[in-house]
Amino acid sequence: MTHAALVMKDISKAFPGIQALDKASLEVRPGEIHGMVGENGAGKSSIIKVLAGIYRAESGTIFVMGKPIENITPEAVHAFGIRFIHQELHLVPHFTVTESVFMGQETSGPFGLRSRDMRRRAESFLKETLNASISGGALIRDLGPAERKLVQIARALIDGQARIVVFDEPTAPLSSDEIAQLFQAIRALKARGIAMLYVSHYLKEITEICDRVTVFRNGRDVARFEQITPQSGGELVSAMVGRELGELYPPRGERTVSDAPVLALRDAGDGALFEGVSLELRAGEIVGIAGLVGSGRSAVVDTLYGLRKLHAGGMELDGKPVRFRSPAEAVAKGIVLVPRDRRNDGLVLSMSSAENINIASLDEIARFWLESRKRAHIRAERQIADLDIRPVDPDVIARNLSGGNQQKLVLGRWLATDARVFLLDEPTVGVDVGARVEIYALIERLVEQGAAVLISSSDPAELIGTCDRILVMMRGRIACEVDAGGLAVDELVALTTGANGEAA
Amino acid sequence: MRSLTLTRLVGIAPLLIFVAMLAYIGFNAPNFFTVTTADLVLKQSIPVVVVSLGLAIVVMAGGDDIVAGGIDLSIPSTAALAASITALLVTNMNQPLIVGLLAALAAALAIGLVNALLVTRINMTPLLATLASSVAIVGIASVVTSSRRINVTDPAIVFIRDGCILGISADVVLVAILVFVAFHLIHRTRWGMNMQAVGGSRDAAEISGIPVKRFLFSSFVLAALAGWLAAPFVLARGSGVSPGVEENLLIEMVLATFLGAAFSPRRVVTLWGAVLGAILVAAVSIGFKSMGVNVFWTGLIKGSLILIVVALAAVSSRTRT
Repeated sequence: MTHAALVMKDISKAFPGIQALDKASLEVRPGEIHGMVGENGAGKSSIIKVLAGIYRAESGTIFVMGKPIENITPEAVHAFGIRFIHQELHLVPHFTVTESVFMGQETSGPFGLRSRDMRRRAESFLKETLNASISGGALIRDLGPAERKLVQIARALIDGQARIVVFDEPTAPLSSDEIAQLFQAIRALKARGIAMLYVSHYLKEITEICDRVTVFRNGRDVARFEQITPQSGGELVSAMVGRELGELYPPRGERTVSDAPVLALRDAGDGALFEGVSLELRAGEIVGIAGLVGSGRSAVVDTLYGLRKLHAGGMELDGKPVRFRSPAEAVAKGIVLVPRDRRNDGLVLSMSSAENINIASLDEIARFWLESRKRAHIRAERQIADLDIRPVDPDVIARNLSGGNQQKLVLGRWLATDARVFLLDEPTVGVDVGARVEIYALIERLVEQGAAVLISSSDPAELIGTCDRILVMMRGRIACEVDAGGLAVDELVALTTGANGEAA
Repeated sequence: MRSLTLTRLVGIAPLLIFVAMLAYIGFNAPNFFTVTTADLVLKQSIPVVVVSLGLAIVVMAGGDDIVAGGIDLSIPSTAALAASITALLVTNMNQPLIVGLLAALAAALAIGLVNALLVTRINMTPLLATLASSVAIVGIASVVTSSRRINVTDPAIVFIRDGCILGISADVVLVAILVFVAFHLIHRTRWGMNMQAVGGSRDAAEISGIPVKRFLFSSFVLAALAGWLAAPFVLARGSGVSPGVEENLLIEMVLATFLGAAFSPRRVVTLWGAVLGAILVAAVSIGFKSMGVNVFWTGLIKGSLILIVVALAAVSSRTRT
């Protein structure tokens, strides 16, 4: 029997108060794409950090090609041919492709760097191993997201010593075309016999590309699927949450939709990313915007929130023309945004849960212009309980919360105000399944209370599951509007990618 | 497409402003575009070129964010202190030039070490750390010279000022060699590429196994070294050292280095950019002088130029995605 490329056996790791890994095991074979799934906090990142030599496990062994790694340090792991493709790209925007690929491993001769030789090697590696033609002289900042990802992969593999490659959420910033491009490269690596561990929240991708899948829950490997088909998603979800998840999306409550739009765009354009966009948001309904990255949907959301200037057309609030010069003006009118980059734009990471929740409603809790700490705390505690934010501690620093809990915090902040229009940009990116269900339920509650909600998302299932109608954007214009009821995911994907030949 | 061109335009705007200014000077000042003026411009730019090399290295290793990235405001003061120590030993104590320069080198390295420790160990922002150290260094320099001018008539210094190598001014040749060596080190070696990686993205460098702190540390030591290297040229130009010599250097160094970013196709600070920037700044200064612009106005003009260049750099980095 041939050796597995990577075996992690009975790995345990505890942090104060948490058993992050409890005799977890994992096995990846050569030439296999092995998926690893689990909710946030299930132990996926912990076991990867143990493998990377960042965390030191209390017990357990790691074997590479049958040989145990004696002293697990980042250097030893690298020497054993294990490479990591982190979620963040870690590229320098003004470096060329060649410089990026060889960063930290440049080759030089007696007359300095062998630039031409490095460029040739970078280009041929990208071409032959990753199936991509990218010029070695191109600057990173001129590349698309998928190409940047490929450069990152090339950097990890250029020395030819890689035997095991760990992908951590590799598709996070990519649109579906770009994902296809990335998958092509990953399959090319598989054909070369490289073992791959593929970690992702996107079950659709897992079922599409992975040969086998290990499911993590509570710091343990709870299930291993030896056969993966596109239909395995449901089984994976039940294994992840440990109970049958009835529905990811909440049932539709009674929605009373107002006749007059609350917020509307009329033939609007920002002079760069979109033009001729008209849309209407009514109280009590959820409108979705679908579209690839670069279709302009994020720019439309930013414009509604006063982050981008309107160059053409107009905006109306309650039927009256309005123009926001800054987000502060939008918030004053009851329009709020849950941004796609919640870590940088949505939260003050160094502040506590309570402070983050109260930051938008200080006026209300202030007494004689001074913040009443006691009132603030009571409010925050109520919100935290209401939103089921874990840990249930108003003083925990936002940085230490999981992605799902951070997002609930951002939503919770606006729930505490009298906002009427909610703009949600990628509300569940990087959020685990359990927390997603809760966030969808929250959104449903908002509409039932008469709020108008706009969701911009790259997840077609999410839009179909939550929205009443969906606007499909393509190249800065609204290509069509569809009713979400009864729409199939592949129909929506076809619309956003223009697969059915509609003119862009 | 329209916004892209606009971004490009904003990126090269500082350059256009300078070229326009030179053209204006050329029309108004007699004999501006001559070999004599060219030599004068190069000679004038020399101390600025040398300290700008130091600043460019610090910026390239620390990143071009002026507040959080790399910057070293103490290089001109280091040059002044190094010149003062050398002058004191050579003129007042009758030591050979080499002794004076070695003593100055020791002082410069000590400054580099202190700056490096402040930034990499104590985690001060480079802007504040080197602003503080530059004030202290100027203080030491005035103690050394008792705030008085010291003349230097050492033949080597006089040769740097007046001599010729192969028909070209000696100081220009020496600095050209220095620039070439520095260029090779930073742009053509592994060490230099790794240092640029650190400045480009600290996380990326760390992930690639590059010892980030060591490079940051070295960049401040190299910067102090650049200050020391500028000392003989400062002495040569002034035939000695006078109090306050660092003030002009500071402004022109910052202007030259960041103006230089406009020359780089990637719009980042580079050694070549810094050198060309220093030469352009010198050309404009001399041009104003030969046009008969009041000396008192040049400070205002230079200050405004720094503002414009840095503001345009900020605009262009904001508009590019």
